Amino acid sequence: MIDLRSKINFFFVFNPTFGPKEGDELKRILYFYPNEVSPDARKMQVGLCEAVVKFMSTFSSEPCEALQTQSKRYIFFQPEKNFWMVLVVRIPYTTKALSAVGESQGDIVNPTVMQNLLTSAYKMFKMFRGPFKNIPADDLYGISEQFFTPYISSRHLTNDISDVIPGINYLPLDKNSFFKVVCFVDHLEVTYPDFKCILFLYNDQLLWNGLCTEDMLTLYQYLVQTLLPKQVEIEIQGGVVTAAQRLGRFISPPDGIHVKEDLDKLIKIHVTLEDDTEFKEYYLLIYRTLSATVCFTIDVNTRLELDTVKSVDAFIGPQLSAIASAISEQCSLHALQAAQLASEHKFVYFNRLNLILKSSPPVNKLQISAAIKPEVLSIMSGIHADRQSLGNYGEIIIKTPDEYWITGKCSNDREFYVIIQEKNANLKEIADEVKRVCEAQMKGIFFYPM
Amino acid sequence: MARFNLKDSDEYYLTLTEQPKRFDPDCPVTNVFFDDTNGQVFTVRSGGIGGVTVNSMDDRKCTSFQMEDKGPIISIKLSPDQKILAIQRNHESQSAAVEFVNFKDMSPTNVEYSHSCKWKNAKILGFVWPKANEIAFITDHGIELFQVLPEKKQLKSLKNTTFSGAWFSWCPQSNIVLLAGNNGILLQPFYLNNSTITKLQKLELDSMRPVVERDVFLLCLCDTTWCAVFRHGVSASVAAPGPTEVWLMPITGPSGFHYTHILKTGLVGRFAVNVVDDLVVVHHQSTQTSQVFDIMEESKVENSIAVHIPLVAGASMRPALVEGQPCSMYSGTWVVFQPDYIIDARLGCLWQVQLLPAGLAHSVPKDEISKIVAALLRRTDGRDTIYRILHQLISDAGVYLVELSKVFDEINSVYRKWADLEAARHTAGQVAPRPRAPAPARVLVSQADVCEQLLPAHSDDRHLVQVVTAYLASLSRQELVVQAGTSAAGVRALVARRAGGRLRALVRRAALADSRPLACQLLSLHRLHAAAAQLALDMLWRLKGHEEVVEVLLSWEEPISAVGAAKQAGGNVWNNLPARKLLAGAKNDPSAFVAVYHALLNRNDRLRGSPHFLKAEQCDIYVEHYKKLTSEQ
Repeated sequence: MIDLRSKINFFFVFNPTFGPKEGDELKRILYFYPNEVSPDARKMQVGLCEAVVKFMSTFSSEPCEALQTQSKRYIFFQPEKNFWMVLVVRIPYTTKALSAVGESQGDIVNPTVMQNLLTSAYKMFKMFRGPFKNIPADDLYGISEQFFTPYISSRHLTNDISDVIPGINYLPLDKNSFFKVVCFVDHLEVTYPDFKCILFLYNDQLLWNGLCTEDMLTLYQYLVQTLLPKQVEIEIQGGVVTAAQRLGRFISPPDGIHVKEDLDKLIKIHVTLEDDTEFKEYYLLIYRTLSATVCFTIDVNTRLELDTVKSVDAFIGPQLSAIASAISEQCSLHALQAAQLASEHKFVYFNRLNLILKSSPPVNKLQISAAIKPEVLSIMSGIHADRQSLGNYGEIIIKTPDEYWITGKCSNDREFYVIIQEKNANLKEIADEVKRVCEAQMKGIFFYPM
Repeated sequence: MARFNLKDSDEYYLTLTEQPKRFDPDCPVTNVFFDDTNGQVFTVRSGGIGGVTVNSMDDRKCTSFQMEDKGPIISIKLSPDQKILAIQRNHESQSAAVEFVNFKDMSPTNVEYSHSCKWKNAKILGFVWPKANEIAFITDHGIELFQVLPEKKQLKSLKNTTFSGAWFSWCPQSNIVLLAGNNGILLQPFYLNNSTITKLQKLELDSMRPVVERDVFLLCLCDTTWCAVFRHGVSASVAAPGPTEVWLMPITGPSGFHYTHILKTGLVGRFAVNVVDDLVVVHHQSTQTSQVFDIMEESKVENSIAVHIPLVAGASMRPALVEGQPCSMYSGTWVVFQPDYIIDARLGCLWQVQLLPAGLAHSVPKDEISKIVAALLRRTDGRDTIYRILHQLISDAGVYLVELSKVFDEINSVYRKWADLEAARHTAGQVAPRPRAPAPARVLVSQADVCEQLLPAHSDDRHLVQVVTAYLASLSRQELVVQAGTSAAGVRALVARRAGGRLRALVRRAALADSRPLACQLLSLHRLHAAAAQLALDMLWRLKGHEEVVEVLLSWEEPISAVGAAKQAGGNVWNNLPARKLLAGAKNDPSAFVAVYHALLNRNDRLRGSPHFLKAEQCDIYVEHYKKLTSEQ
């Protein structure tokens, strides 16, 4: 795991139009991390970036993405017009031989990971606070401070595949159990028309979604990275869960909903629902029973009564715990089947259209080596980022000096990676092996044949 | 508990036939007899001199004639073919005998004869016609079965059996006679068939609680003959007896009905019983209500006993009109006969009891809707009411989604059983006899019915998506294959309601089974939902629709992949793929064109020994195109 704080040199958000006059430069800086940096140093960093992106705009209509100096790497991201988010990380360097750089590669934060960090930081901000442009300029400083500081300090980058390819872990489930989930959602929505179920998770696996793909990913990341780990910790520390809690409870707002005042603590989110076009503000309620977590939205213009929420609680509790136990039975069955399918090689599957990210299960949980080596990861992230060269379909096989064969397959918005560690193998053998793994693991999925 | 009220339904679920069959009322000079075998009412005026009128619901069985008064009549019945009239008279001095009159065209001839019972001191309890020319005398000594030879004016004894009985009950549908012996403790059924008498398994009752004649009936229900016994009170020693129960004990029938059914009326007093559409109707005089019991309903069996409560709360039959005037219902002058006859001898009316299925759903507790639908599925005329209930549930799916789901389960479980039987029949071949199901469903609501008759009426309903999902979920719970038509209708509904996400989720979880029509439907959505096309292509590939996959890839301008797919599909597909089509598909991408061109040259070489295209393949312009491309490089 990489401690992000030690790697990040700076992280800031600026808007050049906010303080156009000389002397007002600090006004342009909406947020700056770390806090200890002096105003002058801040001005210098922001000024440099501003100059670079401005200068680059003369060459390309596309906004500037990155800048690399000898000791630092700058990643730029312009989520909204004139709003720039910049992430600056140190890179190890030596003034002597360039070959030495390779050795400390493991410590370098992968550029894709950095880019993902920026975009997901923005998406998270947009979901929970709304777009920058909708927030009055005077409030932006405070809101950014309030949001980004805890966000940056809570993020841990693991240089894991999920940080290179942000995706969603879907729960494989038989159709009858799945119908149980859907019918539960329908029953709830029909009985309480103000409530809309937007996400149904079992542990960290997604079962049901009611958001547009992009927002689904952001909310999923919020749950899996931030909210649920905290909840699980509370549940473990709580030891014996009381009977009432076993039936379920609201975990957002954090202290549940017991009295009328709790309704004022509801979180708001800005999202687009699935099969909808409107980007709107909603209340977010999250309910949890056993291992099942369900998120609901309610239109912010709805007058929410405590009685309704209590009645929803009574409605969901027993049904959800029944479904959760049914799913848990199915899961143990499925785990047995999956174990038989286990592949000796690591693979990663990703579908851009539903953002499913599936990777080979670690052969043995205790084995740390199950994690993908940073060099390999970096190659995979390269293939993932470089959509252009593979096009809509294609296959690439890369061999590292230490006998790792990395195969990337791209087809119809899907990606499939296989990592094989094999000495004395040739290209043909690797290609055949990849084909075998693909057929065994990706049954029923059509990859464009070559 | 919220109640479901079927719109435009009557509160009555039972009615008497609208036009009663009228006959001369019972009075000192007129005697009325009823023959439940033929459903005929005999009105005998002045012992026959004043004329005998025969009335029936069946107009072909009505007639009138005159005869001599030879003494008071106990029983008068025509043979089933209406060719012989048999009369039993009360002659205290003479030995027990039955008189016969041959009939022709529903009129008596002058051919008359009589026959006495073989046992000299026996008393004839009655006689029955098990067959057109067979008659059985039921006596207190036993049963005597004869063949009647009308031309010879004599009876030929076929069979007899001894049994000392006090009274009997007869079931014309099953030809079973039940004789009561040992002071109402022993009930002995006999089966009269094939000119013989078969003694069946006797029914022994609690010796502390013997039965009397008016409490015992033979009923034909669900292809089984039952002995129905009214059990009044729980214990004789208690001053205030508990409510009456009806015990149904199986006598004969197909397997599946081995145990006793107990119908709990919860009432005390005078009762009568009818059978209408395989429902047991229990009329109760003092409350003027009738309860219906469905013994085919799902019930827990304990100690070989299944207990039932009324299907719906007891209600009166619809008040009947006689000549435009309301007549007294549940009157003391009513006599009830099996299976569904009610006679008011004082009024001179013959009715049949009929079921009004819609009345069963008039007011039902919300959680019993599925039970009512299950019962309606077993009724001959249940279909219309089931559709009305379904329409209403779908329209109000906001309130009734859960109930609707259960109703779908009932419908589909019936459908599933039917489908299994059909499958078994087809695999067993023509020779195998059709297996008899113990509880045959009368109404079948197939997937096509739901998609063609139910759902189209609700295309504007608010909860259509949820209804369609509930139906698919129910099919899946019953492990039924979602038919192409159903899945097409489902996809249409989901797409029309912008539930594309749900559609894809269902396809991903294999809740909609793979099929070519479904794949094509998904493909057609490809402009709206890229993911739908992705799933469609997977599906086509799984279905081995290789030609289609090649077509799709070509239309997406992926000629290289099209060639790859064709090659993977095997020689047959690849060798027969028109070269012109592939080249046309690759024309816009020079490198792809060259690759496809080379692949085709290879194919030509392999198939024909020469790389050149045939004239018939019409590839000349592409050959030119290739030359142009390669010369440029």
